[in-house]
Amino acid sequence: MSNYFNTLSLRDQLAQLGQCEFMHASEFADGVNALKGKKLVVVGCGSQGLNQGLNLRDSGLDVSYTLRDAAIQEQRQSWKNATDNGFTVGTYKELIPTADLVLNLTPDKQHSAVVGEIVPLMKKDSCLAYSHGFNIVEEGMQVREDITVIMVAPKCPGTEVREEYKRGFCVPTLIAVHKDNDPRGEGLALAKAYAVGTGGDRAGVLMSSFIAEVKSDLMGEQTILCGMLQTGSLLCFDKMIEKGMDAGYASKLIQYGWETVTEALKYGGVTNMMDRLSNPAKLKAFDLSEELKVIMRPLYNKHMDDIMSGAFSAGMMEDWNNDDKNLLGWRKETGESAFENAQNTEQEISEQEYFDHGILMVAMVRAGVELAYETMVAAGIKEESAYYESLHETPLIANTIARKKLWDMNNTISDTAEYGCYLYNHACLPLLSDFMTNIDTDVIGRGMGLNDDSVDNQRLIDVNAQLRQHSVEKIGQTLRGYMGAMKKIV
Amino acid sequence: MNSIAIQNCSVSFSDSFLLRDISFTLELDQHWVILGPNGSGKSAIAALLAGFGELKAGSIQGLPSRVSLVSFESQRQLIERELDRDESDITDEIFEGTQVQEILLEDCVDSQRLERLIDLFEFRTKLDRGFRNLSTGETRKVLLMKALCSNPSLLVLDEPFDGLDVASTKILKSILEEFKRKHPIVLVLNRFDEVPDWVTHFVYTKSVSEGIVTYGGIAHVIARDNKLAMESLNQLVQLTKTDVFFPEADSSDAVPELNPVDPLVRMKDVSIAYGDKVIFEHLNWQVDPGQHWQVVGPNGSGKTCLLNLITGDHPQCYANDIFVLGFQRGQGESIWEIKQHIGYVSSALQWDYRVSINLMNVILSGFFDSIGMYQKATDQQTKIATQWLKLLAMDARWDQPFSQLSYGDQRLILIARAMVKHPHMLILDEPCLGLDDLNRQLVLALIDRICRGSETTVLYVNHHQEDAIDGIEQILTLGRG
Ligand SMILES: NC(=O)c1ccc[n+]([C@@H]2O[C@H](COP(=O)([O-])OP(=O)(O)OC[C@H]3O[C@@H](n4cnc5c(N)ncnc54)[C@H](OP(=O)(O)O)[C@@H]3O)[C@@H](O)[C@H]2O)c1
Repeated sequence: MSNYFNTLSLRDQLAQLGQCEFMHASEFADGVNALKGKKLVVVGCGSQGLNQGLNLRDSGLDVSYTLRDAAIQEQRQSWKNATDNGFTVGTYKELIPTADLVLNLTPDKQHSAVVGEIVPLMKKDSCLAYSHGFNIVEEGMQVREDITVIMVAPKCPGTEVREEYKRGFCVPTLIAVHKDNDPRGEGLALAKAYAVGTGGDRAGVLMSSFIAEVKSDLMGEQTILCGMLQTGSLLCFDKMIEKGMDAGYASKLIQYGWETVTEALKYGGVTNMMDRLSNPAKLKAFDLSEELKVIMRPLYNKHMDDIMSGAFSAGMMEDWNNDDKNLLGWRKETGESAFENAQNTEQEISEQEYFDHGILMVAMVRAGVELAYETMVAAGIKEESAYYESLHETPLIANTIARKKLWDMNNTISDTAEYGCYLYNHACLPLLSDFMTNIDTDVIGRGMGLNDDSVDNQRLIDVNAQLRQHSVEKIGQTLRGYMGAMKKIV
Repeated sequence: MNSIAIQNCSVSFSDSFLLRDISFTLELDQHWVILGPNGSGKSAIAALLAGFGELKAGSIQGLPSRVSLVSFESQRQLIERELDRDESDITDEIFEGTQVQEILLEDCVDSQRLERLIDLFEFRTKLDRGFRNLSTGETRKVLLMKALCSNPSLLVLDEPFDGLDVASTKILKSILEEFKRKHPIVLVLNRFDEVPDWVTHFVYTKSVSEGIVTYGGIAHVIARDNKLAMESLNQLVQLTKTDVFFPEADSSDAVPELNPVDPLVRMKDVSIAYGDKVIFEHLNWQVDPGQHWQVVGPNGSGKTCLLNLITGDHPQCYANDIFVLGFQRGQGESIWEIKQHIGYVSSALQWDYRVSINLMNVILSGFFDSIGMYQKATDQQTKIATQWLKLLAMDARWDQPFSQLSYGDQRLILIARAMVKHPHMLILDEPCLGLDDLNRQLVLALIDRICRGSETTVLYVNHHQEDAIDGIEQILTLGRG
């Protein structure tokens, strides 16, 4: 197997990378009908598997689970997840041959092995679905010709997919049909019905391609989403300790700070996040982020280049074959960091204080979001994809840090994201060391403490204009507006 | 003596009505209003202050010697007295009754005040009229004038504004305003918005019936400066009014009809277990239209689990023989087809309802079975939601964030959210959990209204016997309870 993307002509590469369209609600009028009465068999019952399955069943579809033999014999957590929820569980041999749609929701790392095992058991003319295109795009998995291959990728962790469904809503979802495996032209109809079954249509569905999904997903998760937050957490914490601040306060400011400042992104993008600062603080954050963008741009370009060329996935797969030596080592290192082990203070920190004392964090978020977005768009990814994979997901990842710091973030995201995150972190820490020597507690930890909030009018106007006119703000406004009819009325 | 102290009094008013175990202290610089549902003892407490009723137990101290009471009862007595004097059937003369003037002078101590009152109420020309020729409103005014000029040191007025026209109401209010500077006033009122500003304390009465005997009592005495309690009291009074009505359903998007011959719920041999732990087994249960059920049982007996099997929130509903609201579970129905028939309230829902949203939108979300609002409501839906807010006396606060409400008010809003669509079934899982006494009564009053005043079948889970609701007759007991 070889990297699928690299086998395509440039024309095809660009065409598939540039695919991403917001689908109108009327395109889902047929509901789950295309899957009604068909047999859905989910492989794996972890975060996505269990939660997608619960939603699909509650939408009136026939769902059962197949697990590897060992998981059934040892009655592992995945087996408990399925049986406690009243699902039928069977071996591949028992269930795969009965399936009209097989949902492969095992970890990406296992896909080659799992798909290799199940495809021969699959019924003629059935359908195989993924929630992430890594196996197809990066590993070049080739699936039997009669089988339709689709992707339905919720842009959220599995627990969120379920919780939002129960509230009568869902999470934005990307769907795609693998061009090489759509023998009867039914892929789109099946993908749409699957997306309706998980509730995705209520939050907005983007018609994408396997390639656009994989390349943008990898880029987002490595850089702004996980990498930037990890690096930022470590740097900001160490700086506050160096300046003699209380470790408990520093720890709390960072753990909940990301969540608090990025929450503002959900409502009104980078502009709104920056608007939460006082005028002098906003100008400061703007200057810092401009500086950060210059320093970090080459790193963002490198990540994008490595993702495009396949170098990233090749390197990671090497680590897979080396018993995850790098991944496990880096994971251990993160677990041992000073930030990770600091006890939070009991002291209350108000919502506004997270902004006022976290000017550098705000600057890092702005720099990371804009850089990731700009880099993706420059590489040929559509603005819509780039927006979802950068700005949109940042608050979701920040939530995981608020739960249990970096450990929970790295535990929740996929191994692929975690691997990319560590790569970024290791490159970014030294890159920012000079920058950090000039940083003091006025921008991280204590606030600027000015009695006078006055600023130069013209400069403020210029900065506001630059923030507002950025392309991520424009597409963000449109996409958040699309969701208008479906959006939470807050 | 500068206070009236009633201690543990039980007072009999008839064979079928007693005040039981009431205690309170009324300082002579206070002014009280007594509110409460009909028949719960408001008038009895007023009458007790005027010396009526037969004291069975307890003690009353500091009651002034001159107490004047104006009530329907005192009005009726005066009219009856006049009827008894009518001997026209014997004398064959037309009897017009005692002259108004004579009646007014009967116990007048302050004739100057009487003269003023006569002018104020424009009674000058009616003084020589026969009492029997007066209208009800006019006899009421006579009683009021009589009471006021007898110089009482405690004035007790039971529904004084009832039957008075606007002008007279205004006059009476200004007279009371003056009177209260010297002496305490106790009012019995039916409506919260009639309570004058100068009232310092609010008494809320409640009653229980045991066989044919009703026992009235005091549930709460609340000082005006206790803002939170005051708001709840306002709602409680509103909800226990006799003429409460429920807002209509949304005519353009009504919940579909069910086949009337089907039960609402039918469970056959249902068993629930987590791993090896059995919650309950072999349960057979049927809920028919028109029934109201209470589910009781100790902690862990599976009450919530049972309700979740109905709402579809328990995943094992797919692994059991369950028929719910038109659907045999596990045959390709979606949970939204079931949920549309169900209104649901529990403390778990209250925890889940953490989205930032105002009261109006919480109620509106009931039309969509969603937590938070993701669709635009129609004008009609907004109108209906407003009516519900009005019913709960929260319409002025429609834009307030839900999260800022008291626990009890959140519960009321969630019940309204559950009811807006007029569901076939309302499921209440421990709706009083975590509520203080006043809020509990509020929630119970609302549920009681729903049981009696709507077509909705209620399934009610609770722990406490004292939270039983009259209209709920069927009981399912789980576990060894
Ligand atoms: N997590 C997210 O935020 C997210 C979001 C969108 C899409 N996705 C995609 O969803 C898919 C599943 O991810 P996930 O996060 O749900 O994974 P997960 O929670 O790790 O669950 C994986 C499941 O697969 C089973 N499994 C593991 N190794 C296996 C093997 N060799 N053969 C067969 N089964 C195996 C596991 O059960 P046993 O070990 O007991 O067999 C477990 O039930 C991935 O493609 C991922 O990219 C994830």
